[in-house]
Parts: sequence; C-alpha cells; structure tokens
Amino acid sequence: MDKNLAGDSTPRPKWRKVAYGGMQIGYNDNYTDETFLGEMVMNANVVRRDLLKVMKDSVSISQYLCIVALVVLVWVHTLESSLDENSLLLLDLSLLALGFLVLLLTEEKMLLLRYIANVSFFTTGLYVLAPVYQTLTRSISSDSIWAVTVSLLLLHLFLHDYSGSTIRAPGALKSPSLTSCISVNASVVASVFVASRLPSRRHVFAVMLFSLQVFLFAPPVTYCIKKFSFGLHLLFSFGLIGLTLYSVYALHILFFVLFLVIVVVVNVVCPYWLIRMQEYKFEISGPWDEAKLCFDITD
Amino acid sequence: MAEPKLRVLMVSDFFFPNFGGVENHIYYLSQCLLNLGHKVVVMTHAYGNRTGVRYMTGGLKVYYVPWRPFTMQNTFPTVYGTLPIVRTILKRERITVVHGHQAFSTLCHEALMHARTMGYRVVFTDHSLYGFADVGSIHMNKVLQFTLADIDQAICVSHTSKENTVLRSGLAPGKVFMIPNAVDTAMFKPADVRPSSDDVITIVVISRLVYRKGADLLVEVIPEVCRLYPNVRFVVGGDGPKHVRLEEMREKHSLQDRVEMLGAVPHSRVRSVLVTGHIFLNSSLTEAFCIAILEAASCGLLTVSTRVGGVLPDDMVVLAEPDPDDMVRAIEKAISILPSINPEEMHNRMKKLYSWQDVAKRTEIVYDRALKCSNRNLLERLSRFLSCGAWAGKVFCMVMIIDYLLWRLLQLLQPDDDIEEAPDINFCN
Repeated sequence: MDKNLAGDSTPRPKWRKVAYGGMQIGYNDNYTDETFLGEMVMNANVVRRDLLKVMKDSVSISQYLCIVALVVLVWVHTLESSLDENSLLLLDLSLLALGFLVLLLTEEKMLLLRYIANVSFFTTGLYVLAPVYQTLTRSISSDSIWAVTVSLLLLHLFLHDYSGSTIRAPGALKSPSLTSCISVNASVVASVFVASRLPSRRHVFAVMLFSLQVFLFAPPVTYCIKKFSFGLHLLFSFGLIGLTLYSVYALHILFFVLFLVIVVVVNVVCPYWLIRMQEYKFEISGPWDEAKLCFDITD
Repeated sequence: MAEPKLRVLMVSDFFFPNFGGVENHIYYLSQCLLNLGHKVVVMTHAYGNRTGVRYMTGGLKVYYVPWRPFTMQNTFPTVYGTLPIVRTILKRERITVVHGHQAFSTLCHEALMHARTMGYRVVFTDHSLYGFADVGSIHMNKVLQFTLADIDQAICVSHTSKENTVLRSGLAPGKVFMIPNAVDTAMFKPADVRPSSDDVITIVVISRLVYRKGADLLVEVIPEVCRLYPNVRFVVGGDGPKHVRLEEMREKHSLQDRVEMLGAVPHSRVRSVLVTGHIFLNSSLTEAFCIAILEAASCGLLTVSTRVGGVLPDDMVVLAEPDPDDMVRAIEKAISILPSINPEEMHNRMKKLYSWQDVAKRTEIVYDRALKCSNRNLLERLSRFLSCGAWAGKVFCMVMIIDYLLWRLLQLLQPDDDIEEAPDINFCN
C-alpha cells in the first residue's frame, strides 16, 4: 500500500496493531492492512426463519383478533338490544365453565386456583359496583364514547403481548412488560365505557362480566391450549376464525370484507414479507461490543 | 513574533471545568501544539456562570459560548443557532483548521458543519465506542455519517475505535488516522520508596463504579482472591451506583480490614493512591482507550485488565477475559511475576512509549494532510451527502443548502471585513 518511506533497500519492520511506541517506522498513521475488521463477525445471532413455521405462529395473532372481534359483536348486539341480559348471563356462565374445563384438562394447577379466586372476587365486585358503572358516563355524549372505545381497543391490539399472556402463574420466568399491562388496562376501560351505555343494572353486570372474562382470561386459556397441543390450538383457531367470519357476515358485508382482508394480511402477506426482508439483516459484532457477563447479577 | 504555522480551533461540549478523558485530551494536545508554535483556540459551552473568554496556561484561549447545556453536558441542538458565533470566532481568530472532538457532542457536529459550509478544513476525533443495535446508537451513527461524509481527515484513539468508526460512518479506512491518547508521565511518577511486597500485596482499583466499568466483576473477583491469598489487600477508589453492591460484598465476606473503599478520588490525588499499590486492576466491559492503565503503568504498577489489547506491551499487562475465573487466574499470574517488576524502569519505558509531544506531532501531520485536501464547492460536496441513504441523503442535502444560504445572508448583514480580528498575544516570553 504505502511506499517504503526510507527509499532504500533496508526492509521496514513489520507493522503491529498496537497503540504504544509512537509512530511506527515506515508506516503512516492511517496505514490499514488486511487484518482490518478481521475480528468482525456478521449475523452470528440471527435466527433463520421458515415460512411455514411463521405462518403457523401468526395464527395466534389472528386467533386473538377473532376473539376481540367476537367481543365487539356481542357488545353491538347488546347495544342494539338483539341480545337480552338473560342469554348474556348464560353465555358468561358457559364461558366460565369452558375456561375452567380447559385449565383442568391441561393440568395447570397454579393457574386454576388463581382463576377460581379471581373469578369469584371480581364477580362479587362487579355485581356490587354495577350501579356505579351504569351512571358513569351519563354526561358524556355517545360519539365521544364510541371514539374513545375504538381508540382504546386499537391501542389494546397494538400493545397486546401475543407471545404469552400477562396473567401468569406466580413464579413464571418473564414478568409482564409495561406495554402488556397498558394493553390490559385499555381493554378494561373500553369495556367499562361500553357497559355504561346500557339501560339496566343487570345488563351492565352481564356485559362487564363477559368482557372482563374474555379480556383477562382468554389469553392464559389460549396459551394453555397452545402449550398442551399445537394441533388442538390450530383447530381451535380455525374454528374461531370461521365462527367470527360467519357472525361478521351476518352483521354487515363491508365489515366482513375488511375482516377477511385483515386475516389474510396477518396470516399470509406479513409472513411472506418477513421472510423476504431477512436477506437484508446485517448484525455486526466484534471486539468493540460491550462484554456480556456470564453470571446473573442478583441484587 | 513569528506567525503561527497553523491556527487550530478545538470544538467540543466537553472541556474544563468538567473533568474526563476527552477534556484532558483536548487540554494536553492544545498545550503541546502551543509549544510547537501553533495557535490553538478552544470553543465550548458555558458552565454555570463561566461564560465569555478565558485564558489558560500558555495562552490557550477558551471561548465559553453562552449556550446552556441541556442533558449530559450537551448543548441543545438547534442546527443553525450556532452559525453566527462560530463564524465570528473563526473570522476573529483567523482559524485555518477546525478540530472537533467526541461523537456525542452536539456542539462539535454543528460547528464542523458550519466550518465546512464556510470552506474551512475540518478534522474529527472520535473518543468512544458505540453499538449498532439500539435506537440511540442508530440515530447517533446517522448523525456521525452526516458529519463524516464531508470531513477532511478523522482520528481515532485505538485500532478497535478505528474499526468501530469506519463501520458506523462508512468512511474510507485510509482517511482515518490512529493516534492514541497519552499520559503525563511527569505527574505520574512512582513512589520514591516502593512499598514492600513481601508481606502485603496491594491491588488498586480506581474507576467509576458502574455496570460498564465492570463493577459486578469486582464483586465476584475480590472475595475469591482474598480467600486464595491471605496477604492481598484491595484499595477501591471511585464512586457510583454499584457502590452499594461492593459494600454488601465486604459485609458478607467480612473483608472490612482487607478491602478499603475510598469513595470518589479527585484526579489530583489519584497518583498518591496509585503509588500505595503493586498491582492495578481494571475490569471494564468495553473501553475505547483506557487512560487509567497508562497512569498506573507510569507509576510503576503491574496491570491486570480486560478488553484493552494493544495498549501496553505484553510484559506490563496481564490480559483476562471479562469472566471471574479468568480474572482470578490473571491476578495469580500477576502476583507470581510481581517480584521481577521494577517501577522506575517501567516508568522510564512509559516515557518513551507514550508522550503528548508525540501525539501533537502526529496530529500536526494530520492537519497538514487536511490542509492539502482540495477545496470543493457546494455542488460537489452535496453529491457526497446523497450517498448517505435514500431519504437521509436528501435531508442532509437540504440541511447543507439551508446552512449555505444562511451563511450568505449573514455575510450580507455583517460583512467579513467588519469582523475585527483579535491580535495574537505572545505569552511564552
């Protein structure tokens, strides 16, 4: 690269990659040899993904979207008075029993106990507080309520923890993150707003019970199903997708088309796009990285 | 008085009275350049009530520009707000080269951008290592790419730092010079009477007690070494969030008499702490260039360190992986070779290996190279920015065009001839 600065036949000493000793004789300070970037490692920790696996994993996302869509459908039917409070209460009880059954079958003892405790606790709480919810938003106009509810539900969907569930058995490895707690809160507040638009106390109680049941317990129950058997999980998801599409079709054709498009995008288009973008992944590591401690810091 | 050969403006957010590696580097480099006969002016932001012009040793003129720092000693980035003051300083002092320090300093980036618009030569020195993966680093690297797209020469303080800077900014390796930091060997002399290493061996640690500097490794290593060697004691200087963990470790293993915690040690007292020891321990997880081990080696201590390859010759340092077992092994090796260490001889060797005068001479070569670079006009320079990225390139071009227009406007409002030039005052005689 650089010419021999001495200009005569004495060979210059070999260049060393060290910082001490001042300028190296025969070399400029900007000399770069072949060992430059020799210790750089590219894409060492990158996981290569497979299209079929990504598509199967994205079924959990569309499953949750269906669950939320079904909840919204129940709300719409209740608000339109096509679903009365007795059938709603029946729906609540059957969902509770179903959840209980699933947890029993998949043998999640800790979660089961927590489930029963939480359910009894908030059922009584809800029944007592139902009159408060009923008059909560009486002074607020309906438009604001629908706008806030829709935004809260969107926030809930964006921040939801799709990989696991926020309600975990105590002693679980990963504690819930900030965004998953925010999403749970958003869904609960959205349910309260919708419930406050209903005519009678029993309506309020039934809808609140239904919404809270689904938002708080659907994630752990579906997580248990997924852990128990992946085939069962896929079957359940497809069943749920079918049920939702049918119900939305019965409601309005435009929503049906929209929902179908969303399901296709989430399940087919997004995995394909992710696999295509993988080629551009460029992870750099080298001696400049901060060293990772090999032991856990216990405070 | 002879006309100075070069007129350099050092720009950074980090300068005295704030204390640290970058500040030290700028100060010592400026002093040595003044001794070589050049003119050096420093520009930084105001510290508290300290604004205006101050003179330091040797006639070093410091402009404390009246901008308040807003976070972590950085001035608030206004992109064009510093253009008038930078133009005034450059014209008043008849500067020829602008030298910016530290990628994290917003004032440095802005000043380099304005200097480039006005046609001055710019040189940039990077003092730290940065990652590539987190959000903060990605934005910082983009800003660096902008500044270095149009730089004349760049300097890095170690080979690892050079590789890191080249990867982050996409600069050609041939434009980056490797000039390390140095140590003031006159200030760091070994003790007149070396403490005896027959009965008690003292290991000194002086660093900020934070995660990055490996304080957690110390918590694992110190009890193990104390258990294996009953005649070893530790002196820990420095303060930080991990102080509590070290205190807990002392309590848990009952090492109060063998581990002495000094708290924060001011830089003037560092030498007096170092000369009480035989071995210096550095456990940092990442380091662009560790000056602490140079100071320790200058005081005649044998160093045990992680992650600082190439800074000291192999017989002055024992390297270890940032893993407690490997560090204990390295300390064992250091203790075994301790009798063969002669502090005076180590100090004399350090005088030849590192000196600020050498750094100044090498920096002078970089300035001369920068001055020889051809001056490009605006259109040629804009093409360099376009290669920075699909969207970023165009944004950068817009920024530079607006900067150019603002400069021309300033020239209309306050013509160049109206700016009074400051006389050069000779302090040397």
